[in-house]
Amino acid sequence: MTNHWVDLKNSDAILIAGSNAAENHPASMTWINKARDERGAKLIVVDPRFTRSAAKADIYLPLRSGTDIAFWGGLMKYVIDNNLYHEEYVVHFTNAATLINADFEDTEDGDLGLFSGFMDDDGDGYGSYDRKTWSYQTDADGNALRDETLQDPNCVFQLLKKHYQRYDLDMVAGVMGCSKAKLEEVYAAYAATGQPDKTGTIMYAMGQTQHTVGSQNVRCMAMVQLLLGNIGRPGGGVNALRGESNVQGSTDFALLAHLIPGYMAVPRAGDHPNLQAYIDVETPKTSYWSNKPKFLVSLLKAWWGEHATAENDFAYDYLPKVESAGNHYWISLFEAMHAGTIKGAWLLGQNPAVGGPNARFEKEALEQLDWIVIQEIFQTETVGFWREPGKDPLKIKTEMFVLPAADAMEKEGSIDTSGRLIQWRPKVAEAVGEALPDHDIIYLIGRKLKEMYEQDPGPYADPIKHLAWEYGGGPVHPVIGEMVDIEKVAVEVNGVAVEDVLDADGNVLAKKGDMLKTFGHLQADGKTACGNWIYVGYYYPMSDGEGNTLPASKRRGQKDPGGLGIYPYYAYSWPLNRRIIYNRASADSKGNPWPGGRELIWWDGAKWTGYDVPDFVVTKGPDQPGFNDPFIMQRDGKGGLFAAMVEGPFPTHYEPVESPTTNAFYPERNINPCVKVWRTKEGEDVGNTYGDPAKFPIVATTYRVVEHWQAGGMSRWLEWLVEAQPEMFVEMSEQLAAEKGIKAGDRLKVTSARGAIEAVAIVTKRFQPFTVNGKTVHQVGMPWHFGWGGGGPDEALGKGDTANHLTPHVGDANTTIPEYKAFLVNVEKA
Amino acid sequence: MTERYAMYIDASKCMGCRGCQVACKQWNDLQGFVPGVRETKNTGSYENPLSLDPQTWTRIKFSEYDNPDRFQWLFLKEGCMHCTDAACVDVCPTGALKHGPYGIVTFERDLCNGCGYCSQFCPFGIPKLEIINSVTGEAKSSKCVFCQDRTVNGLTPACVKTCPAAALEWGPRDAMVAKAELRVSELKAKLGFPEARVYGKTELGGLGRIYVLTAPASEYGLPENPRYPALGTVWQKILQPVGQIAFGAVIVGALGAFFVARRNVVMEEVE
Amino acid sequence: MSVQLRGTDSSISIRWIPKYTTLERLLHWVHTATFLPLALTGFVLFAPWLEPLAQGAAGAQIRLIHRVAAVFFGGVPIIYTLLQPRRMLMNLREFLSFGKYDLLWLKNAFPYYVLGRHGNMPPQPRFNTGERLTALVMVLGTITFGITGLSMWFLKGVISATLFQWMVVIHDLMFIVTFAMFIIHFYLAVVHPMMWQSLVSMRYGVVSESYAREHHAMWYYGEKRAKQMYEERQAKGEQH
Repeated sequence: MTNHWVDLKNSDAILIAGSNAAENHPASMTWINKARDERGAKLIVVDPRFTRSAAKADIYLPLRSGTDIAFWGGLMKYVIDNNLYHEEYVVHFTNAATLINADFEDTEDGDLGLFSGFMDDDGDGYGSYDRKTWSYQTDADGNALRDETLQDPNCVFQLLKKHYQRYDLDMVAGVMGCSKAKLEEVYAAYAATGQPDKTGTIMYAMGQTQHTVGSQNVRCMAMVQLLLGNIGRPGGGVNALRGESNVQGSTDFALLAHLIPGYMAVPRAGDHPNLQAYIDVETPKTSYWSNKPKFLVSLLKAWWGEHATAENDFAYDYLPKVESAGNHYWISLFEAMHAGTIKGAWLLGQNPAVGGPNARFEKEALEQLDWIVIQEIFQTETVGFWREPGKDPLKIKTEMFVLPAADAMEKEGSIDTSGRLIQWRPKVAEAVGEALPDHDIIYLIGRKLKEMYEQDPGPYADPIKHLAWEYGGGPVHPVIGEMVDIEKVAVEVNGVAVEDVLDADGNVLAKKGDMLKTFGHLQADGKTACGNWIYVGYYYPMSDGEGNTLPASKRRGQKDPGGLGIYPYYAYSWPLNRRIIYNRASADSKGNPWPGGRELIWWDGAKWTGYDVPDFVVTKGPDQPGFNDPFIMQRDGKGGLFAAMVEGPFPTHYEPVESPTTNAFYPERNINPCVKVWRTKEGEDVGNTYGDPAKFPIVATTYRVVEHWQAGGMSRWLEWLVEAQPEMFVEMSEQLAAEKGIKAGDRLKVTSARGAIEAVAIVTKRFQPFTVNGKTVHQVGMPWHFGWGGGGPDEALGKGDTANHLTPHVGDANTTIPEYKAFLVNVEKA
Repeated sequence: MTERYAMYIDASKCMGCRGCQVACKQWNDLQGFVPGVRETKNTGSYENPLSLDPQTWTRIKFSEYDNPDRFQWLFLKEGCMHCTDAACVDVCPTGALKHGPYGIVTFERDLCNGCGYCSQFCPFGIPKLEIINSVTGEAKSSKCVFCQDRTVNGLTPACVKTCPAAALEWGPRDAMVAKAELRVSELKAKLGFPEARVYGKTELGGLGRIYVLTAPASEYGLPENPRYPALGTVWQKILQPVGQIAFGAVIVGALGAFFVARRNVVMEEVE
Repeated sequence: MSVQLRGTDSSISIRWIPKYTTLERLLHWVHTATFLPLALTGFVLFAPWLEPLAQGAAGAQIRLIHRVAAVFFGGVPIIYTLLQPRRMLMNLREFLSFGKYDLLWLKNAFPYYVLGRHGNMPPQPRFNTGERLTALVMVLGTITFGITGLSMWFLKGVISATLFQWMVVIHDLMFIVTFAMFIIHFYLAVVHPMMWQSLVSMRYGVVSESYAREHHAMWYYGEKRAKQMYEERQAKGEQH
């Protein structure tokens, strides 16, 4: 999130799109209700189905799964055509005024549906873009040219207008399948937040991201919020509702194929052969990222300690390099597993047998492994993948190791939630049996590996041998010995001064051995070590506003100066305890807060001050360059209305890979042209197969219910939750049920090109058929929590068929997040 | 604890998340899905269990209200209404059900002898009999007791504590009624719910649950006009006193007759 | 039989007439032995001031006794019908026949039984009016208790709550009627100075000839003759 949970109460309009917040983030309703009760805020829900969130909304708009860009594009056109954008904000804080290379071609020019620079070497219709023409026009010094009247035909604003020129209400309603009147009602209600004294927030989750155009969906939300002047302001923001209490933490620490901790790129063999190459390629000249070398070197210093020195490039060569991050995303990994390229796997807290796309294919992939280690709290369907009914264990050669893991309540440590709030949590329960916390398991494996590499080094043992791995000092386990002292990990992540850190005048900023207070003190010369630059300060002793000093993320101070829900003494937000990032944008181009009574920070004549930590150079005044550049991570400091992504600088509507219709905007370009469409064993069961709408005419989506959690590991073993939601079901409209002769409670067979499952029918008015481009299109939805149980004496209480037997093995062009949210099925009585 | 308290339940804020259903089970050590013992099935709805039972003292009822002006998906938190005129208390032969502190209709399981009258005379059908042996009749009643062990110690019921939508509140009854009326006027005037209403203000002398509803009570599966059961009145207010008077009268009459007859009647002789 | 008069040498002979079979007597006492616990345990649930007895495990025992007794109570007519169906039907027919003499009996009951005025009692068959009424109430009661009691026992949750409520109310009403009736029956059959033979009859199954002549003239003399004798007496205004 750019903002945070409590901040929702400051909003004038709350748009939930691609999320079922009341269902899956119920606590958020506390703050949403405050906004409604105290400010008269409107809650708008856009969803294929009338959900528990829609039940609480003031306005509900149905949309066919996979048509979000049509929705957002239409909103942008509506905002621009009706002059509802926040003009001063747009002109000064975004790149609306920036001029783009005159050779740039939009999807509306030339080759319809494609931008300039498309390369399709193998002629299969899919490819990538050469982004040369997507550049800014610059002057001799390299500064971008701008037209702040927004009239120049090459300025971003005009290009944006052209790009969405055909996204009028009729077109959009036709693609989405909704009513034009309701669409306009939503647009008007939300566009009203473009007024300078109003802010609106967009809450989204997997409904936006789990599409082959998922990244572009998110881009749309950022663009809408920039046009309406809602970013960096209380009650505004682009707010991802993270699906796990610590998944924000997991991305912070780069449990992602393309990153290393702190959102830096994973080293690539081709581009980053050595430290200097990495620094040269990855460090921009402007924006706060220009400090990247400090972050990287400090990280290497944390990992290899005394063995990371200026002489050996701080052990940069010890880092493994990838050919391309794309080879290591989830779908790619399972494709490689299936092909036998990957020999072994270590799964921690993962249940791909239930949660993975094209789950039958992925289970088959697991069977190809030579060995697998599964670290889990329960014997899930993945733990039992070899004994699933229909599998012959004797034919599966995988050697399995199961490491029982402690669950979240049984270990101490921090979590980072959606709002970037890092909260330290104590251990409150003892793990059962032999279960150990993940950090102890990983520590022990690392320790053992180091021992083994000491004895038998092999060709390249140094990266392991030289790992700084001194985390012991915790409780002594009777069998395993000394376990982790979690504080050692925390201190390392927070960052320490390895030597005295001095400023330009020789003053000591941080003494040797002390924790660092700010990432501003990180050095690129090895004087600092830090496990994650964005976390600096989170374990530093700070006041809780009530007389206590303790590690920042342990604080629970209740004071809220300004009453905006900032709670600066409660835990710690990255970066540097800023609660609303890009908060420079909460003040106008003169440094005065926008009207509307939600003053956050302002220029007081000498410095930036206010209720939040300024996300800006505190002393930068109106007379200095960059005063109006709130977006400090962008090279030009401006919000990117025009911003390069894999499939273009502007989001364009493309249909999902499995779609019941053609792309109404660009019939020649049905789906995202940059998507990698896997065709492994196509046509074979089980392979990567795509459904023909004639055979599978019904749009399907998957979702979560409040009673269950993800792939069910933490809920399908709990009797109270299973009682409330015991079985796999599929929801459909009364009209579709009538067509198929289905009654509520009937057992149904749901099929896609990849598999067939059984589910109980829920027949409801909450799904209504869509009229898409003149045709009736039905949609159904189902939860993806269920699995066959895992087998064994410890198997799940709640069992059911797995929705992901139906989903395709294809994902977003930028991130390859799987398209779980829009695919094709058919249903009939079982 | 003599002040009457009530539970404010705002169905307009409720999201049907079942947090209350689970919190109640957790606090009161009640069972959920137990294979071979208690298994629920999806019958075509999110609603489960399908009724209150000895292991379920509160639950959410789901209904779809197809009002052409505004479709609503309704969620109702069902549980003991803690009536002022509580028929269950009147018909309970053991005093296990009583009006207790804060006006809670309390239940003392040790005193219950399993007769089950409460389950049949409640106009809402709330108390559920846990039948341990259907031949000997061994049984115990069960129902929400507003977490008596929490509330008499100054805490709120477990469900109120857990509700993430802040749809529940526990407080002095007058204040809860006032809050409900304010919310209803807000729903009608500003939020587009012309059918909003308070339920529980005067029914059965006043319920211990004050509901804010956005649709007619019947749409939620609540009786529009719940009444004290007439046969309960007959039983408790007529039969019981009249019956005992009748016995007394007959005994007295017989005694009287005996003394009179003894003087008047000669022992019959055998002839 | 021959009975020696106390304090004298003389003896008189009493002729005994059989009235009740052994089975009938046995079942009557079983009936009594079950009715009383039923009434008492029921009373514990009925009377608010007996609440402490109804509580907890003790209360559960009370309810169990009620059910066990109920099984035997209900078994009485069933056994009777199975083992002596003809007697059962005969009795039933007698219980159901009422005539104008029964009204007269009712009119004369108070002066007769309380004030001791013997004169005007009309002749009675084997069972007098009161006995027939008691019997009917008991038959009706047994059937009613059976239906309502079994419903309350087994059909909770099967029948509607309202129907169950009716079962409770009717069961209770029947309890009031039958127990009041029992008190009167007990008084007249056991306590009343004049009626000592009725207890003898239920213990030994016989009544004396003189008793039969006096109290059950239509049985002793036959209906026609008894009516004749009565009408003659009425005409003469004779006092007995």
